[in-house]
Amino acid sequence: MSGPRWLVAVAFALAQAPDASVRFVDVTAKATIDFVHRSGATPDKYMIETFGSGVAWIDYDNDGFPDLYFVNGAPGSSNALYHNNHDGTFTDVTARAGVADNGGGAHAYKTGVAVGDFDNDGFLDLFVTGYGANVLYRNNGDGTFTDVTAKAGVASGPTEWSTSAGFFDYDHDGHLDLFVANYVDFRFDDNPYCGLRKDGYRMYCHPTQFDGTADRLFHNNGDGTFTDASRKAGIANTAGKGLGVTFCDFDRDGNTDIYVANDTVRNFLYHNNGDGTFTDVAYRAGVGFDPNGKPRAGMGTDCADVDGNGYPDLFVTNFSEELDALFLNHGDGIFEEVSDRAGLASSYIPLGFGTRLFDVDNDGDLDIMVTNGHVIDNVKLYQPNLTYEQKDLLYENIGGGRFKDVSSQSGPALQVDRIGRGLAVADFDNDGNLDVVITSVGQRPVLLRNTGAHSGNWIMIRAKGKKSNSFGLGATVTIETSEGRQVREINNVASYLSSNDIRLHVGLGGAKIINRIEIRWPSGTQQVLTNVAVNQILVVEEP
Amino acid sequence: MNAFVFACILLGGIAGVLAQAPLHDRLERIRADLFSRPEHLDQDVRDLKEILAADPRSVEAHTLLGIAYRAIGTQDLMGESIAEFRQALDIDPSLVPVRLYLARVYLDLGRAARAKEELETALTQAPGNPQLLSLLGESERQLKNPSRAVEVLQQTLKADESSVQARYYLGLALLDLGQRDDAIRELERVVQSSPPVSDPYLTLGTLYLNTGRAAEAIQTLNQGVHIDPRGLELHIQLARAYRTKGLLDKAEAQLALAAPKDGAAPAMSAYQYQQVELDLNLERGFVKLQRGQLVAAGDAFKKVLAMDPNNEQATRGLAEVNRKKKAGGGK
Repeated sequence: MSGPRWLVAVAFALAQAPDASVRFVDVTAKATIDFVHRSGATPDKYMIETFGSGVAWIDYDNDGFPDLYFVNGAPGSSNALYHNNHDGTFTDVTARAGVADNGGGAHAYKTGVAVGDFDNDGFLDLFVTGYGANVLYRNNGDGTFTDVTAKAGVASGPTEWSTSAGFFDYDHDGHLDLFVANYVDFRFDDNPYCGLRKDGYRMYCHPTQFDGTADRLFHNNGDGTFTDASRKAGIANTAGKGLGVTFCDFDRDGNTDIYVANDTVRNFLYHNNGDGTFTDVAYRAGVGFDPNGKPRAGMGTDCADVDGNGYPDLFVTNFSEELDALFLNHGDGIFEEVSDRAGLASSYIPLGFGTRLFDVDNDGDLDIMVTNGHVIDNVKLYQPNLTYEQKDLLYENIGGGRFKDVSSQSGPALQVDRIGRGLAVADFDNDGNLDVVITSVGQRPVLLRNTGAHSGNWIMIRAKGKKSNSFGLGATVTIETSEGRQVREINNVASYLSSNDIRLHVGLGGAKIINRIEIRWPSGTQQVLTNVAVNQILVVEEP
Repeated sequence: MNAFVFACILLGGIAGVLAQAPLHDRLERIRADLFSRPEHLDQDVRDLKEILAADPRSVEAHTLLGIAYRAIGTQDLMGESIAEFRQALDIDPSLVPVRLYLARVYLDLGRAARAKEELETALTQAPGNPQLLSLLGESERQLKNPSRAVEVLQQTLKADESSVQARYYLGLALLDLGQRDDAIRELERVVQSSPPVSDPYLTLGTLYLNTGRAAEAIQTLNQGVHIDPRGLELHIQLARAYRTKGLLDKAEAQLALAAPKDGAAPAMSAYQYQQVELDLNLERGFVKLQRGQLVAAGDAFKKVLAMDPNNEQATRGLAEVNRKKKAGGGK
């Protein structure tokens, strides 16, 4: 080959070379997951029809492989629990497990799901949210569950529209408490007409048409029952229109704080005062509004340290024509929104819902994934540049507080338009690469396997609390390797209506050994492990 | 309408809310700003949030922030306005003026049932309060109970004959009852008191126009435009009045003032603005038809029918365009 032609060929080959991004492959069919979401959509455009339902990773039988629980939508439709067969396939065990949750009446729409071991028996329980129909399922430890909602005292009001929820131990008594985000005061008998009065143009209403409702905090009494502590704790703000919730210790004072993403009103950051009460510090912290001081339509949220300064940052997905928001935590009680300069501009047009900050390529920093989908099914009639179905987004952390949109380079599975809502992350095949499940309104979910191309080393920690709650939720884990130091928290509560794997996964890049792991348990106990091997699932018991 | 009632409420209510204010001076400055320097709204919002950062339970800051968001007036911020008022009421449920503001926002959003709930609660705390009663009357009217509205508003005016707000609502309620002459009489009394907001001028001007009193309509609507030069409906009705008098150049000039400016089209196409957009195109159609510009007239009527396929005026207008085209007239 002559010189110039050779150079051209090399240039072409470089252009065609695989990039460094990971690849996601849709393995839903191979996994034999045949769940289909039913939205219950009607011409009446009841708002709840378009908000979708969540999904949870829950290793309900403690076999070391995360199983899947899908929440359905329409009244009468069945949720589904799929057992992970360890070979890439799943088996529907809903009927045996008794978690279909298909009762509750004509308006019992189901929405979200939380996972935690509220009775510390070593088995993960389920809390399913909905419209007037929240259900707490106690895991009996034998593959079956029992509805203990009434006995536990966590039932919702008949018109209470609960969305995201999560378990955490806010008072360090070793028992998991329950936070439930509530959306708006919607009544089926007072459903306004919104949109043009023309065939096909009726649209789902703007949330401004409805009042917000207070979120709920249930304190775990340690005897299988809960007490509604919302008002006493100071989190019952009726202004809220909560859709997403996440927990982190934002100021590293040892107490878990709460962040709530609200739709069209400001978001809440509840600082845990350490005495059973919380103070909303969103105004002071600068995480309630956009940089212009305007509220956005918050949907999903997650918190974790994306810039490596040791303090958890905040990420919130927002409405279309609003940037998804990345707030960097400066560690002094103040956050700075950096969405634009961080490289998240491509999130402007899509409407973001489920999200997770996780190390998709095991390179030692946290990346961002977002599933998108508009809420107005006929939005194209009003804004031709928008669509109901949208593509997911994957942002790779490229360091320095900056991200790169690698969605188009991460496999055809991310090039599919869907009405994305729930998103949950787990390493379902225990190969060290984090996989993703996404739910869509009125459609099948997708299980996206991370093929791990070019991935680094990793460790996964399954915490076993003794004085602390049994799965160590809220523990702070500091990992030191030759490549640096990462501070993370065990927290499965993030995204939208969904619950992630309860094990902590940490990407380690090229590090061959972990020099030191320090765990601060919720009980206050400190534990240090040294010279820990990489690429393993490490079970750590609280001393 | 909104600004009119709001101004009345502000004058009467805010002083009481602020009486026990912490950070009093700063809040006083913002309060003065809010009512006199609308160009400072963004700064006021920032300042109020700073105050709330220091004191998240400041009823006054929540209230003023609600007022600021209400004044900015976009739909998203109306939700935030409600949220701020509700936070203030959560801290102190006895604040009657805040409940009044909240009811006002609900009415702006067409949520009359919720407005009525708030007003009834407030009236248990301040029985006979004319401001509350007049908004209650308007709520009843919006809930399609015009007789009950008239009853409440007449009761209000008995207690306070000078209430411009109650009289304005009474005019609207009488109109809903089909008592047009009585309505005009009440609205004329409102306009004679020179209220500083444009809604009464628009309502009365439109009524004059509908009763064939084009000259009075032009005069009244021009008074409204003087108060609110950006009032789109005022310009559209004024165009209609000029067209009625055959003053087509003036009519087109008014329509140009009502038309969305470059880059504003998407917002104008949003469903919240559908009535304005529809009225604009309907009037444009009639002006063009009268000028013999049949293609432009046809296009305008078609736009109306795209938004409202059953619109009788546009259907008739388009039929007239087609008839004239067949007859070979126009261009």
